[in-house]
Amino acid sequence: MAVIREKGYAHWDGKLAERRFPWWPIARSGIRLAFRKKAFRLFFAGGFLPAFFALGGLYVSERLEDFKALVQSNRALLRIDPGYFKTFLVNPGFLFLVLIILIFAAAGLVADDLKHNSLQLYFSRPLTKQDYLLGKMSVVGFFVLALSGLPWLLLIVFKLIFAGNLAFLAAYPLLPLSIIGYSALLTVFFAFYFMLLSASSRNARYVAILVFTTYIFSDVLSGILTGIFRTPYMGLFSLRANIQQAGSFLFGAKPPLAVPAGWSFAVLGAICVLALVVLDRKIRGVEVIK
Amino acid sequence: MGVKRSAGLIFGFFFPLGWKTGKTRALALLGLFPVLLAVVARVFLRGRTGDMSAVFTEILMVFFLQLYIVILSLFYGTSVVAEEVENRTLSYLVTRPVTRTAIVLGKYAAYALLMFVMVGVGLGVSFFILNAPRLGDPALYLTFLRYLGVLGLGILAYTAFFTFLGAFLKKAIILGLVFGFGWENIIQYFPGSTQRFSIVHYLKSLLPYRPAGIVGGGGGRGVALLLFRLEPTSPFLAVLALGAIAVVFLALACVLFRTKEYLYEE
Amino acid sequence: MTAVIAADRLSKYYGNVLGLNDVSLEIEEGITGLLGPNGAGKSTFMKLVTGQMKPDIGTVTVSGRRTWNDPELFRDIGFCPENDVFYEDMTGLEFVAGLLRLYGFPPAEVRDRAARALDVVDLTKDKDRLIRGYSRGMRQRIKFAQAVAHDPRIVILDEPMSGLDPLGKRKLIRLIKDFKKEGRTILVSSHVLPEIEALTSRVVLVHQGKILAQGDIPFIRELIEAHPHQISVRSSDPRALAARFVGDRSIQKMTFGPDGRTLVVETHKRDDFFGRLTGAVLEGGIEVEEISSPDDNLQAVFEYLVGK
Repeated sequence: MAVIREKGYAHWDGKLAERRFPWWPIARSGIRLAFRKKAFRLFFAGGFLPAFFALGGLYVSERLEDFKALVQSNRALLRIDPGYFKTFLVNPGFLFLVLIILIFAAAGLVADDLKHNSLQLYFSRPLTKQDYLLGKMSVVGFFVLALSGLPWLLLIVFKLIFAGNLAFLAAYPLLPLSIIGYSALLTVFFAFYFMLLSASSRNARYVAILVFTTYIFSDVLSGILTGIFRTPYMGLFSLRANIQQAGSFLFGAKPPLAVPAGWSFAVLGAICVLALVVLDRKIRGVEVIK
Repeated sequence: MGVKRSAGLIFGFFFPLGWKTGKTRALALLGLFPVLLAVVARVFLRGRTGDMSAVFTEILMVFFLQLYIVILSLFYGTSVVAEEVENRTLSYLVTRPVTRTAIVLGKYAAYALLMFVMVGVGLGVSFFILNAPRLGDPALYLTFLRYLGVLGLGILAYTAFFTFLGAFLKKAIILGLVFGFGWENIIQYFPGSTQRFSIVHYLKSLLPYRPAGIVGGGGGRGVALLLFRLEPTSPFLAVLALGAIAVVFLALACVLFRTKEYLYEE
Repeated sequence: MTAVIAADRLSKYYGNVLGLNDVSLEIEEGITGLLGPNGAGKSTFMKLVTGQMKPDIGTVTVSGRRTWNDPELFRDIGFCPENDVFYEDMTGLEFVAGLLRLYGFPPAEVRDRAARALDVVDLTKDKDRLIRGYSRGMRQRIKFAQAVAHDPRIVILDEPMSGLDPLGKRKLIRLIKDFKKEGRTILVSSHVLPEIEALTSRVVLVHQGKILAQGDIPFIRELIEAHPHQISVRSSDPRALAARFVGDRSIQKMTFGPDGRTLVVETHKRDDFFGRLTGAVLEGGIEVEEISSPDDNLQAVFEYLVGK
């Protein structure tokens, strides 16, 4: 007998195969989107300049005889030890550079999703809030690690190649760990910091201003409070000073503030926790219009 | 309709709208931070008049001149054109009987006044709190007006520059940040006349400078941090330069906005 | 009748992407529908007409005046953009009144006109609510209100019905028709044929940046009728089914799908075919699993017209 079948949805009763890294597509597309901008590529390339300068310093340090005249008054600068790496990495200029590059790549990470109401698209897929956040934070992580981790680890390799022996690594065996630790610190802090502020507005331009203002303002505030109260603990209000303080600790150098480095780790950690709490409330699949 | 009248109408549209946004409220709140600080300073530095004046010249003016007006101008200046393109609301404006030049000028004027009010309130309240014992001294008010004038000129010049950047580039904010917080800060370390290639140089040249050791006018003992390595331009030339910067960049922004097509990002 | 809107060899490129290609067109008083699939060039044409873009080649004029950088022209033009964008921090009244002020009307007149426009779109009750809290339908209506509040002679509406429910659509259609009665020129774009059909019989077909056809709806219908219909029938025995239709003169072509279970028929007389198909199914015991018509839409007409 002839049967005309209904054309409709075919219900699937199978079990959904779970992907191991559901956050990865988000991270990949975030990184790709950043590289699509020509100006970003230029800025990103500029982010490697400090590493190139440091490489030049490494080379000169191994060829002191050739550069005798040049380095006579700058001998201290060419002493290659963890302090040398710290000078470049735990430096306000370097942090400024990282911040600018991240503003380019990450200011709109959540803000653009809020603007285009994309969150509901994300969460209508087998994706948890953690996956979403991890994916977005990985974009920040990628760029921070690319600027503050990998090239500086490579510099150690270059140093060993230039020297032709392993004496440098034997003298400072913890240096690679310091670089990795500092890079991880920057990654975690900036990831939370950018996500927190990016989730605070639908306008990426405003987020960019907010990221920068908060960073600079914290510095100004700490300067003012230090001036009034005359205690180094007021330096803990500065994001920059805290990063530098924690960074100096990781490189085994004298910290810029006369306070235990643990305080700076605690401040940075508290900001990350605050970010997590705020993000948990802000990132939702359903928009609530008040 | 003439440009002046059209610009006035645009001003009337954006000035009240500017106050209604949450972003303006947040930025205005930031402008009240010096007031809070002035109160704290009065409580903790009681009796230390010199220190109190230094709080204004060394800290609050640095905040206003090198952070607050730059941030405000960067946000509002780039907003003049970029905001309309990003939010795709440009269609509503360019299909009205107002010239494109009037749109830029009117919106610029609306935002400049908005910023001036924000800066003026923060500056005025904090200044008079810190100088409360000398409220009867007429010189105090002249000094205040001079500070206000410097910041007003700063707003006009920076906003014009950032309006131009916003009309010219899609990602004006990054270049604006590099200019406002990179170039403007490091240029004072460059030799010769290089520092004249910045806006902040002319603003610093107009500060009510007092030689170290002399307290007067509520301005404190000079403004050492702001005057570091400054080779000042004469006040007349400084005002002229700031006016020229504002006019030239605003004119460029108008020309660009008249001739350039702004396509919305899909 | 003289043309209100005229395009002459109009072309617009977005870098390497073609937006509009060599379009010559005259639009007269009354309602004209701009019909075409998404990305056809409708919005580009409207942006050129409203002076938001300048032509790369050719000219576009409204009432004989070029539209780029001629703001005075906009006293006569009302434009409702396609994008769902607003000054979200304004209330409905502030939005309409604020934009009306840009025409230089005195304050009392601004108030009157804004109130009238809001009344026309049934938003008087919600006029003091922030636009960000409006529903999609309300947002469409407030967009329409700002386009007509200044009483323009020419109204350009870019996809005005998208997002409206059937009731909202009917209301908007009535409003637009009322406008027409007052002797205005209205250009409406849509990718949905019945929407345009409900408004006007005068249509311009746009596809891939080109004007494919211009004329009355019956003409478009004729094109659809002249276009042989494709009907795909999935059955247990498509060849047996085909055998029953071989002698049918209304069928122009029969092919078999790659799955071996589908028969694709091309015919000018669709209804006749369906009648015979039912008979074949009942008499021949052929089991039919699915019937579909892959080309029964506007896109198919466009493809037919461009000879794909």
